[in-house]
Amino acid sequence: MTALVQAPSLGGRMRALGRRVLMSEYLILYLCIALFAGLYLVVPKIASPYNIGSLLSNMWPLFVVAIGQTFVLIIAGIDLSQGAVISLTSVVGASFIAQSANPVVFSKSPLWGVMLFENGAILHDSALGIPVAIGAMLLVGLLIGALNGAAVAYARIPPFMVTLVMSMFLAAFAILLVKSENIIELPNAFHAIGQEFGIGNAFKYFSVAMIMALVLGAAAHFVLGRTVFGRWLYAIGINPRNAAVSGVPVRKVIVLTYVFSGFCAAMASIIYTARVDQGRPTLGEPFLLDIIAAAVIGGTSLAGGRGKILWTFYGVVFLTLLGNAMSMLNVPFFYVAIVKGSVILFAALIDVARRRILLQGT
Amino acid sequence: MTSHRLTMPVLRNMPAILFVLAFALFSFLDPRFATFTNFSNIASTSSFVGLVAVGMTIVLLTGGIDLSVGATMYITGAVIGLLLQQGVPMLPAIGAGILAGTLWGCVNAFLVAWVGLVPFVATLVTLTMGRGLGLLITESRTFILPKEMSYAASSYLGIPLPVIVFAVVVVAAVVFLRWTAMGRQIYAMGNNVEAARKAGLNTRRLTASVYVISAFCAALAGVILVSQQGMITSGLGQGVEFDAIAAAVLGGTSLFGGVGSVFPGTVIGVLLVQMISTGMVYLQIDLYLQDMVAAVVIFFAVLIDALRMRLLTRLERRNIRVEKGSTEVETAPSSA
Amino acid sequence: MTDTILRFEGVNKAFFGVPVLEEVTIDIERGSIVGLVGENGAGKSTLMNILGGVVPLDGGQMLLDGETYAPRDPRDADRAGIAFIHQELNLFTNLTIAENLFISDFPRRGPAPIMDRGRLRKRAKEALALVDLAVSPDVRVERLSPGERQLVEVAKALSVDARIIIFDEPTTSLTTRETERLFGIIDRLHQAGKTIIYISHILRDVMRIADAVAVLRDGQLVAAGPVSDFSINSMIAAMVGREIEQLYPDRTSQPGPEISLELRQLSKAGISHQIDLALHKGEVLGVFGLMGSGRSELARIIFGLDDFDEGEVLIDGQPVKKLSPTRNIRNGMAFVTENRREDGLMMEATVADNLSLAALPAHRRRFVNTVRSSAVASAVTDSVDALSIKVHDAFRSEVKGLSGGNQQKVVLGKWLMTKPSILIIDEPTRGVDVGAKFEIYETIDRIAAAGTAVLFISSELEELLGMCDRILVMGQGEVLGAFERAQFDEEAILRTAFREHVA
Repeated sequence: MTALVQAPSLGGRMRALGRRVLMSEYLILYLCIALFAGLYLVVPKIASPYNIGSLLSNMWPLFVVAIGQTFVLIIAGIDLSQGAVISLTSVVGASFIAQSANPVVFSKSPLWGVMLFENGAILHDSALGIPVAIGAMLLVGLLIGALNGAAVAYARIPPFMVTLVMSMFLAAFAILLVKSENIIELPNAFHAIGQEFGIGNAFKYFSVAMIMALVLGAAAHFVLGRTVFGRWLYAIGINPRNAAVSGVPVRKVIVLTYVFSGFCAAMASIIYTARVDQGRPTLGEPFLLDIIAAAVIGGTSLAGGRGKILWTFYGVVFLTLLGNAMSMLNVPFFYVAIVKGSVILFAALIDVARRRILLQGT
Repeated sequence: MTSHRLTMPVLRNMPAILFVLAFALFSFLDPRFATFTNFSNIASTSSFVGLVAVGMTIVLLTGGIDLSVGATMYITGAVIGLLLQQGVPMLPAIGAGILAGTLWGCVNAFLVAWVGLVPFVATLVTLTMGRGLGLLITESRTFILPKEMSYAASSYLGIPLPVIVFAVVVVAAVVFLRWTAMGRQIYAMGNNVEAARKAGLNTRRLTASVYVISAFCAALAGVILVSQQGMITSGLGQGVEFDAIAAAVLGGTSLFGGVGSVFPGTVIGVLLVQMISTGMVYLQIDLYLQDMVAAVVIFFAVLIDALRMRLLTRLERRNIRVEKGSTEVETAPSSA
Repeated sequence: MTDTILRFEGVNKAFFGVPVLEEVTIDIERGSIVGLVGENGAGKSTLMNILGGVVPLDGGQMLLDGETYAPRDPRDADRAGIAFIHQELNLFTNLTIAENLFISDFPRRGPAPIMDRGRLRKRAKEALALVDLAVSPDVRVERLSPGERQLVEVAKALSVDARIIIFDEPTTSLTTRETERLFGIIDRLHQAGKTIIYISHILRDVMRIADAVAVLRDGQLVAAGPVSDFSINSMIAAMVGREIEQLYPDRTSQPGPEISLELRQLSKAGISHQIDLALHKGEVLGVFGLMGSGRSELARIIFGLDDFDEGEVLIDGQPVKKLSPTRNIRNGMAFVTENRREDGLMMEATVADNLSLAALPAHRRRFVNTVRSSAVASAVTDSVDALSIKVHDAFRSEVKGLSGGNQQKVVLGKWLMTKPSILIIDEPTRGVDVGAKFEIYETIDRIAAAGTAVLFISSELEELLGMCDRILVMGQGEVLGAFERAQFDEEAILRTAFREHVA
């Protein structure tokens, strides 16, 4: 039963328009366009090929992680451990393939003699090195996701608490493994994963990250839109009791969702690690807020039951653009925290407003 | 169903049991642990965490959470540092700092009670923005504080000042929670929000108050901590929320609301958390391993809380049948 | 000339278009104890909710001491001196009795906001003395038995000095001793001049304590008068004997000999006691009982949502060890739950999404686990047609915009899409209009004729009489009796249901 706007008063029309814009799926897309246009006026450099390339290269891995977060948000959960997963998997991956390891730096680390040696990491000269490293990273991501999911589904601990504690644990573990040092000198082949390459002269923006993001995005979109599993996710997010009665294997689905979230974080870590060419135990730290902000501002609700990959994409674009804008405008870094906090606040407020409008339409 | 007749009393006295166990373990592993000076140190260094934990407990009682306490501490410290720089005398500077921190908590109160944001999102936002605000105020410089700010090192009657402040706040909190209408209403709301509304309680005002209280406690903790450290760095208060939550939950406060006490609960929780940290330092355990242990400890505390909640909801379920021959119907927990 | 303290005049109320109270006019005499009886759904609770300010009335009015009385919320009712002791207690289990009693009204010590615990304890003791509860006021409510908790609620009501006190099914969780204690309190209140409205399906108790009786049936007052005018049998007869207004489809099916679902001595402490049940292929087996008889709980156990302690469940002759909804659905069982808003529907989702949820696994393409959209879409459209679900666009309209009847059809449709061989339905026509009811009955008959075994749980005896091949009567978690179609007799069945409580 939608309300009909009867009297076409100006105030009424403005409000109706405002409501339509608010409820629109493309709100964030509009904001992105507006932001870009506004920035172009102030800082034309923003449209330079170099900057576009920089934007894209920041976007893709963030999008990869945010895809996993989107799934978790749809079932009315949250995964605060993705940042820490990125950090830990970065260390794990690098510890397989580092080309050298300075004993002065690493002799006290638990990895010394196990993974890291004087002449490099355990598989530093093996052709299998990179595949094994990547496999290990993904495996760790999956396992952590499984632990998170089990705690949420079976022990019924609130998701934010589980993933927050997990985040603490993993962050400390990552730093412990390398005694707070970065593992450097990764093989060139691995470093190349993070670089752009071109097809001829035309489009120079291809990268592994882009392919990964697009493939994963398409797959996720497909799962959400066309598979039984996707429908189950929405059902659990909207009404878990109904889902259980209707035969959805709720607990298993919850575990799988968190597993996927950990997997996405690990995937993104491959790109980030390759780009900085180091195994960094603090790699994921700055990203946690970005991930959640991107997913939520795109339109996925924190309360569950609502969300699309495309929306998350818009949110990622927005956030990356915002970050880019702040560095272009030389915004001092303490303002950055305030701005990011505001973005989440703004997103949460939109979410609350949207839900209230939906409820009124009953 | 006799098994749960045992579990409930065990669960209820969990904090004390853990405390004794931890103490015994650490003393066994390193006899230096069980000395008075060690204890006095633990008490002194745990004061600022304890202050935050008291405020956190009160928030948890309503079923909410306050992740922004560390940022509040930082804002308080930043304001104090800034004002001292400008030549403002010590006491007004401290007053202003506490006010600033408490005002920041009002933002939480507004977001949760009026806007209706979920507590962890609201306090996550204020955590982020608060840190930024603090950095802005200090322009991310480190302030070294003048000598007179080390009052925290002073003792009265042999008791360090931080401990005295902590004790005063604990007493105030206990009085508030046990002897004022508002305190009891907070417990009521945490137990059954619907019944609270039906009873005519102003749930909005109650919800808002707890976040202001928590911020105030965090602000006090900030004052203590900057005095103890003698400087204001950009990392001030970072991570204190975890210790505070751990202390509260280990002390028997439930994340789900309605259950918990400042004394003996949270106080024991605080001592326990500090004892574990100090014990690990004594055993020369790696710093980051300590953080891992802390995470595991919090996880178990939260796990036990969740299990207890499941047990309680199952026992509260209404029975259709009154089994023949019984004069009492099975209730939860075991009646005296 | 009677002294009327409270008068209901032509009270009307409808929920979602379905009338629940029709032109109810009752005079309540000051200082009397009025027993309000009727079957489930007769309107008793709704009438009291209107009195207590919980829901507003649609038509008519109420007069309190001759003055118009129109409460906007429970606080208004409180202030008017009306205390409502609900079935669901509003106590804080983590607080003491004294704290619960005075949660919004603590006595203070002087101007300070400090509680005067001494005075609190004293006032609490006084309140407890009124209800004869010999427990210390410093005991936490979580340690009290349901009976004691109820007495605390009564004490709470009394402490606001109510003049009309409503008891809604107060003794369902009480032991005999606690019930006696409650009656003693009611008697004392009566002596003190309070007016009491007592709702209960334990007719024996009503006969015992009431001065006057009012019988509601289908939202109308069908009988009222002094208790001396009534007997248990006459009360039952008044509750029954309505014109068959609703039409039922002709039953076209006959139950087959094979047993689809069998329960043997199924027991769960506090919930069910040695239930034996055999449901045949193509049979419509009704399960009747009063509120709180354990039927829905039994259904949840059968469907695997709750576990059980002893006994066996056999599906198609095979005992099943671990029941779970997922497995049961795969074996052809379906369950339309009692409360569609709570666990039967996704209110914010489309009709199509709701309809397809349970049957999704059946519409998969093998390796890729996709939903064959066209197959699902046509199944959805078929379902909407077959059940005559009135919706603008099943693929875009959200379920919450539908009427109660159509919502219920969506739930039913969801389960029928799984092509079940055993269908358990619990209160399928609650909150459903007459037209939709008939369509639901037709559907039930149709699937029974096709061989599905139907377990039909309902509190509306009439629809069971119209639709079922057999009726089981349950009470307090036990099977009290069974009736074959040839033996169907409304009064006899009702008497069996009340039998626990008839002397």
